[in-house]
Amino acid sequence: MAYSEKVIEHAENPRNVGTLDKEDPNVGTGLVGAPACGDVMRLQIKVSDAGVIEDAKFKTFGCGSAIASSSLATEWLKGRTLDEASEIRNTDIVKELNLPPVKIHCSVLAEDAIKSAIEDFRKKQSAKRGA
Amino acid sequence: MTDPFELLGVERRFSLDRAALEQRHRDLSRTLHPDRYVQSPAGERRMALERAVAVNEAFRALRDPLSRAEALLSAHGLAVGDADRPSQSLLMEVMELRESLDEARRSPDKVAALLAQVRARSGSEEALLASVFDDQPAPGPDALGRARDALVRLKYFRRFEEEADAALDS
Repeated sequence: MAYSEKVIEHAENPRNVGTLDKEDPNVGTGLVGAPACGDVMRLQIKVSDAGVIEDAKFKTFGCGSAIASSSLATEWLKGRTLDEASEIRNTDIVKELNLPPVKIHCSVLAEDAIKSAIEDFRKKQSAKRGA
Repeated sequence: MTDPFELLGVERRFSLDRAALEQRHRDLSRTLHPDRYVQSPAGERRMALERAVAVNEAFRALRDPLSRAEALLSAHGLAVGDADRPSQSLLMEVMELRESLDEARRSPDKVAALLAQVRARSGSEEALLASVFDDQPAPGPDALGRARDALVRLKYFRRFEEEADAALDS
């Protein structure tokens, strides 16, 4: 199967690979995986007190499309508010990367990772307020 | 795909006798060999060829414990798909293992140690699968659920083993 140029570009030069401190109350972590292909994806966001994502990092062990999807997601996340971030849809990723039908689940995984990172952050914040 | 157990005529179990499976495959392949159909009508020849292909496919599916487990689950109408999400504890374990493998890449001893550790984990998942499919005549929904989870873990461990093998080869 041929990868699109954009997928190859992201897979060869992934943006924002790395780790944020998951104990930091301003960091939300999403850890997701697709068992059918054995992929695992971690996506983290650091949110400012004003509710804007100031940093995003990812680490993905999987195929080129999974790496490209999460790399693109971190690029898109930076500078967005949480509400704006949760509007990112897997179909946007598919369009941008020209993913073929067999690789759509990679973009779904990235959307899931964004959602669970946001959810993790919000859970931490409400725990902090409750304390 | 047709049920590979039925196609090869072997008992529907997780633990199976590898030598007997290979023998069965050889016997069937011999019976279906194109040389034996040279004089036969075209339709019969084509059917024998199709069956030979299916027999090879079934043999490959049963030879590997992972696809064998898939075949057993699928006989019960269960499958692991793209939309399934593994447990957080498994994902954490796998992420940690994959990161350790990345760090160990340049030292074969460390890679081999990680590989041994994961192979042992795969071994226990295979034991679990055997206990579900071989120790009881008809596994119930709970047992099948456990088998399905074990298969998901096995898939992740297999991916790790492939990566670790590749790291040792390079």
